[in-house]
Formats: sequence, C-alpha cells, structure tokens
Amino acid sequence: MAEETWQHYKEKKHSRPAPLKGIRVLEVCTLILGPAGPGFAAEMGAEVIKCEIPPMGDTCRDLTPFGYFFREQGISFVHMNTNKYWLGLDLHKPEAQEVFKELAAAADIIEDNLRPAVMENWNIGYRQIKEINPGIIYISKNGFGQWGQYAEENRPSNDGASQGFSGYSRLSSFPSQPPLKSRLYICDNYGALMGELAILAALHYRQRTGKGQFIELSQTEAIMRAMTWVWPYQQITGKVAMPAGNRDVSVCPADTFRCTDDNFVAIAAPAPEEFRGLCTAMGRPELADDPRFKDHLTRLKEDNAAEILKIIAAWARTKTPEEIEKLAKKHGFAASHIWNTREIVEDKHFRARGFMTEVDDPILGRYFDHEFPVMMSKTPPKIKWGCRAVGFDNEYILKHTLGKSEDDIEKLYDCSALGKWADVPTRRPPSTWDGKAGLREV
Amino acid sequence: MEQRWPDWIRERDDPRIAHTKPEALDDITVLDLSYKNFAGCYCSSMLSEFGAKVIRIEPPQGDFIRSCTPYGLLYKGEGLNYLSEGRNKHHITLNLEKPEGREILKSLAKQADVLIETFSPSVMDGWGIGYEQLKELNPGLIFASITAHGQFGPLKQNPMPDYDNITQARSAIQSATGEVLPKGKSYDECPWAVPTKAGPWIGWAQPGTFMAVGILAALYWRGISGEGQALDVATTESYARFDDYAALWYQETGIVNERFGNLDTACWLYCFAPTKDGAVFLGGLRLEMWQAFADMVGKWDEWGAASWTTLQTFMREEEQLKWAPLIFAETRKYTSEELVRMSVEYAQKGRLAPITAVVAPVCSPDEPMKDANWLDRGIFTPVKDPVYGEVIVAQAQQKMSETPIRTRWVCQPVGHDNEQIYSEYLKFNPAKLAQLKKTGVI
Repeated sequence: MAEETWQHYKEKKHSRPAPLKGIRVLEVCTLILGPAGPGFAAEMGAEVIKCEIPPMGDTCRDLTPFGYFFREQGISFVHMNTNKYWLGLDLHKPEAQEVFKELAAAADIIEDNLRPAVMENWNIGYRQIKEINPGIIYISKNGFGQWGQYAEENRPSNDGASQGFSGYSRLSSFPSQPPLKSRLYICDNYGALMGELAILAALHYRQRTGKGQFIELSQTEAIMRAMTWVWPYQQITGKVAMPAGNRDVSVCPADTFRCTDDNFVAIAAPAPEEFRGLCTAMGRPELADDPRFKDHLTRLKEDNAAEILKIIAAWARTKTPEEIEKLAKKHGFAASHIWNTREIVEDKHFRARGFMTEVDDPILGRYFDHEFPVMMSKTPPKIKWGCRAVGFDNEYILKHTLGKSEDDIEKLYDCSALGKWADVPTRRPPSTWDGKAGLREV
Repeated sequence: MEQRWPDWIRERDDPRIAHTKPEALDDITVLDLSYKNFAGCYCSSMLSEFGAKVIRIEPPQGDFIRSCTPYGLLYKGEGLNYLSEGRNKHHITLNLEKPEGREILKSLAKQADVLIETFSPSVMDGWGIGYEQLKELNPGLIFASITAHGQFGPLKQNPMPDYDNITQARSAIQSATGEVLPKGKSYDECPWAVPTKAGPWIGWAQPGTFMAVGILAALYWRGISGEGQALDVATTESYARFDDYAALWYQETGIVNERFGNLDTACWLYCFAPTKDGAVFLGGLRLEMWQAFADMVGKWDEWGAASWTTLQTFMREEEQLKWAPLIFAETRKYTSEELVRMSVEYAQKGRLAPITAVVAPVCSPDEPMKDANWLDRGIFTPVKDPVYGEVIVAQAQQKMSETPIRTRWVCQPVGHDNEQIYSEYLKFNPAKLAQLKKTGVI
C-alpha cells in the first residue's frame, strides 16, 4: 500500500512539480532567521529573489566553522540559501527602491528580517507596497516584533540572544551547571519555520478571498511556543521550571546513559509494553510490577523516576550502545546511540529516501545536503542548487522578470543601484567558475 | 506616513482584537489520529490556531500522551503538555481496532481535508484505512504521517516508537551540543560534560511544525490542481535538517562537528559568558560589533581593536579558545543587567555608536512570564477555558493583520465532543451513541 504511494519517490522527484510552483517571493534578509524561511519556500518550488546590498551582501556569507569554507563559500550560507535567484540591489538608493517596487507589484510574498521600520524608511514597507499590490503577504521577522518595549528600544537580537531570553537554554542544561547554548541556531531556524507556516496560512486565505496581509514574527515568541508544559507548570505550581540534563521529566524512563565503552545511549520506554520490554531486557521483569513503577504517572514522580533511572544507568554501564539498540528492537522499546554527522551523511536509509540528497550544482559541483524533510508524494520539495555570488542573476531578473533593456540596466549600474560581488572569497563565485556555468539564458 | 509604524501595525495585529477578525483556515477540517506521539498533536495545534476545525480522535481510554507530564503532575486530571496542546480541538473517541470503528473513520475521512496519523508504517494500511484506501473515498485528502523512520526506505518496517529524546540523539544534534570534558577529567568527575539534549520537546515540536508547513503547501497545491496527496515526515530527518553546516563541513574536510560548550564553532563573537550573577549572551557577527564590545569593556587599546581587519581569523578554534577566557574575565566583573545596559548605552555614546554588541540576559524560565514586554505582546494572556478555568499557555506567536491566530480553549477531556461531532458529521442520535459506547467502539 504505502509501497505504491512511495515507489521510486527519489528517482521521480525531479520530474514532478513542487507544491509552490508559481509563487514569487522577494527576500531582503540576512543571517539565518531571515533567509532560512525563503529557503524552505524555494525548496517547495517558490521562485525566490534574494536581494542583497552589493558588493558584500548577506553577513552570513562570513560565518563558517573554524574558518573553513565549502568550495570557497561560507558553509551555513550554502545550506540555507538553496534554489534562490540573486539580485544585488542597493536599497538605500531611490532607483533601487523603484526596481524593488516593480518586482513587488508582481510578487506574492515579501520577507525581511530587519529592525522595525527600516523597510519603510526605504519606501518599501508594508504600507507602501500594499498600495501597489493589495494581495501581498508581507512578513517581518526579528527578535522582538514590531511593537512593544523592546521593539521600541530598537534592540538587536539573534539566535543566541533568543535562546537566552526565552529560558530555552536554561532548561537545556544540567541543574548544577551554567545554562548551555544549543549547537543549533534553533531560534533562528524555528522562527523561520513558524514564519513560513503563517505565510502559507495567509496564502490559503488569499486563495479564498484575494486579501493579503502583514505578519510579524518574533523568534523568541516562536521558541517560547514550543516550550509547551513550562508555562502552565509555572502558573499552576508557582515553581520555576528546572533543567534536568538529559532526562525527560515528562517521559519515564527517558534519558541518556553512559555505556561500558564511555559512549552513550538514549533510551525511552514509557508506555506499559515498552517499559515491560525494557525490564525484561535488563533481566529484571519484576520491576514492571513494582508499585513504584507500576504505571507511567507513578513512575514519573521525582523519587520513583530517580530510582528507576539509577537502575537503568547501572545496567547500561555494563553494555555497549549497540547491544542496547539490539535489545530495544527485540523487546519493543526505543534506544539509540548518539549519532554524529558522519553517520547522518553516510546512512543508507537517509540516502535511500533521498533525505541526504545529492545536489548537482553547475558551479559548486556535487555534494549531499539535507533535503526538505516533508516528503510529498505528488509534489516533492527538492534542492536544485546552492548559493550564488552577490548579484549573480541581475541580468536575468531585470530582463526576464521586469523586461528591462540593456540601457536601463546600464543606468542602474551607473548609479550603483545595481551591483555585483566584491572580488573577495565568499562574495565572488569560486575560482573554478568558467564565467558561464549557472547563468540563465535570457 | 502620518501614523508611526508600530502604532499603525499594533492597531491591526494586537492579539487583543484577534477575536474580531476572520481565520485563515476556517474552511478546513482536520482529523488528528496521533497516538503516543506529541509531534502529531503539535502539528494539529498549529493548524487549529489558524482556525482549522480539528477533530482529535483518541482510543476510548484516551491517548497515552496525556500521561506524559512533568513529574507526573496533573491539573484537573490533565497532563501539562496535553493541557497546552489539546487547544481548539474537538475531542472524540473511536476504537480503530474494531471494524465498525474503521467504517466510522472512513465516513469522517470522506468529509475531511487533512488526516494526521503517527502509527507505525503499515498499521493504517493493515486496517484498510491507509492513504491508498482513503483516497478512493476522498481524492482530495491530504494524508500526513509522522513516524521515527518514515514510510519508505530500508528501516520502514522498524517499529521503533518515536520519542523526543531519541530523535535528539539520532539527529546528530545532541552529539554536537554540550560542555567539553576538561582535559584529564573523566565523566565520573564531570557527569555534565556529555552530549546534551535540549530540555523542551523540540524533537517533537519541530517535526510537527514542518509537517504543518507541508500540509499547507499541499493544500495550496490542491487549490490549484484539485489533488490530495500523502505526506511523510521522519522525525529524525526533520530535526537533522536544522544542522546548518555540519553535513557540508564533513564532506569538504572530513571534520565531524563536535561539542564546543558555550562558544560557537561557526560564529564570532557569539557565546554565553559568565557574569557576577548568571550569564549573558554576547553577539557581534560584524567586525565593528566585536570592536564595540572590546571598547565597551575598556579593552580597546589593550586588545588592539583598532588594528583588527577581519572576523575570519577569530573564528578559528585556537583563537576562540584564546579569546574566550579574556572576555569572560571582563564579563565576570559585572551583573547581567549592568552588561545589558552598557551595551544599550554604548549604542548612544560609544566610539562606534550606533554600532554595539548584542548583549542579552540568559533567563530562567520564570522570567519571561513576568517580563512586561512579553505580557504586553499577549504571549502569556491566560485562556479562559470552559473546563480548566484560566490557564496560561504560550500563544499568539505569529501576529497577523487580517487572520490572527488564537487559542479558544486549551484542552478537553477524553471524548468531550463525541455527541456534538458524531451528530454533526454522521447524524448519530443518542441511542446510536449509547450502543457504540456499550460495544466499545467509542
């Protein structure tokens, strides 16, 4: 049944349409919170035009692990900026603002992640654009939204600030230790995803009514939404929600345990049959009927949870993660060793599904990247190409999309409204570029 | 523009007036069959906030997920995670293990736009209510499955249950987050210096959100083509998608991303720093912001900030490890609040003003709930629930000028709306309902 639905999914991906085909997005975004959202839309088939201030463009181009580059590009930047068209437009200049307005008149979505009112100062704010395109869906994403004390103070934000502000980091640490920052830019990426969700809901509404709208997204508000129990817990008990290291205080048992080889394994076995399976695997079937552990709610209570986790920890210390994974499969509970990136990249299952998808980029070459993680049987999202140099698609966009003449374009270059990359790594194309590959025919 | 932008937009998207406006998805009916899986519940919450009518279908004894609550705590009989994520949903019971239950499900599915399910792959097929079977009855149906491993690929028959801590372990995110084990120390001495997962259920909330995005994209496509389809999210893939640079970095250099404590492998200036009374986040992703930080703590000359020309060199591992202790020695001299204020003042009067470093407090989770800024923005406005009374859950995280999201109620007990929904959709009368209840179908 499901075999039929998903047969040859990976192989047929590129011959099938993507769901947002025909939707045009204008992006005026930097770093991650901003660009990640249009990146998702582009993988779902939207035509995303990324506007950068030439010649340096998006600051994210600089950010790269320990100073390493990926084919002369910033590594996060490649991952985040897939399937986009690249316009070098200096929006400080009135001529550039006019170009933007022409594009906006025929766009469906505009995304920015600047501080409040910057777009309006450039004459391309929501109030100005809706006059020329009332159906526009316009989202501004940042730390604190468009109004309120912090927005009025014009406070800057970014992912780490949001992890701190929301309490997310404090809750993600060990009780005796300082708060721990996630390795992920979780508040940026999650904020971007929540922004896309609102955009698509607005698109559905526009499909029904023709009406556009403005959306504001604070990344801190978005991540606080995902912290479910924390808020009613604090309201109801009057206590502060406390960090618990790797233990899940809402699921018992669920924790990370140290094994015999000093590697680690995560285990979860809360449902009755799962817990019984774990107890059997440990050679302690009687524990499943112990009054302290007899049902989930009882087991979750602080003393009981501490006790059962201690028993499991002592057992895990005598096994390897692989042995415990095998036992989990046999006895029907969940366990996993702590995977690293190499395993993700090389995993057969992820390759077979096309989650680790091979990108064949005319400029960057071949590589594997994470595919958009919703597989859609009829309209598969997909990565087609990675990032480009600042202003790489200027001519294509101005001629093809706006029908400008060579003369018009030259004038825009002359007044510096339009521009291209600085001749430095991460801004220019890789040195292997032949001057043609990746350029679109006009 | 006559009116200031923040005032203008607040008049239109303040959550306080949400109830006066239309809802984006109020023409959409969703069946949520999530079982033992919070990702599915969170996904349907996302849709319900935009106004979709969500019919939440549980087995007659209720879903196990209701018992997944911190420390086993119940409020008026309800677990606290479910208290947050039952929101806006109509709760009915239906026993899908009985043939009569499946027939009832088919009748509901004929009238639905979206179906969300989280059973092991092939369970729904085996019951005769999988995608291929239901699409015969309703070709426009969007059939959304969330599981640990997905609907196809080598692991599709692996029935491992899906839990948040397992997803965090399998996605290679946990391995890259956490304190570094100090040289010469063992895990016995530093049990906190281990791969560390996030506290909140992000390994469930994030895949649920991705699926909601996929569902809305599929809905858009259906609006154009009339076709429904099947969607497949594997929670591990979904969460791994946020691992920005790790996969590309490994492919280019063979380096496996490892944990780096509260510094950041790919950014500078970007860390949590200790203060007199806690910690702050420091961010300065442009050279001038890093210089502003050095200046702000009185180290402009000593550190030679005027001579710095690029951030690139600071991103290197050895440079980060050299600079971090110098920075922390300075931040320890102040309270968190003093440092936040110093940054704001620097933006007004500093040598590089208005450029300043981002300094944000790392909050305990009780602080956001008391913060006037967030209270003003309506994130923690108590919901007046007819069953549970006034409950605080995070809400209004996206603010929209035309179709604002809203939380009408937070939760319902098991089977709360049986009568209403079965009468509305299937015209069952009380006698029929009594009979179904007696035979264990509902």
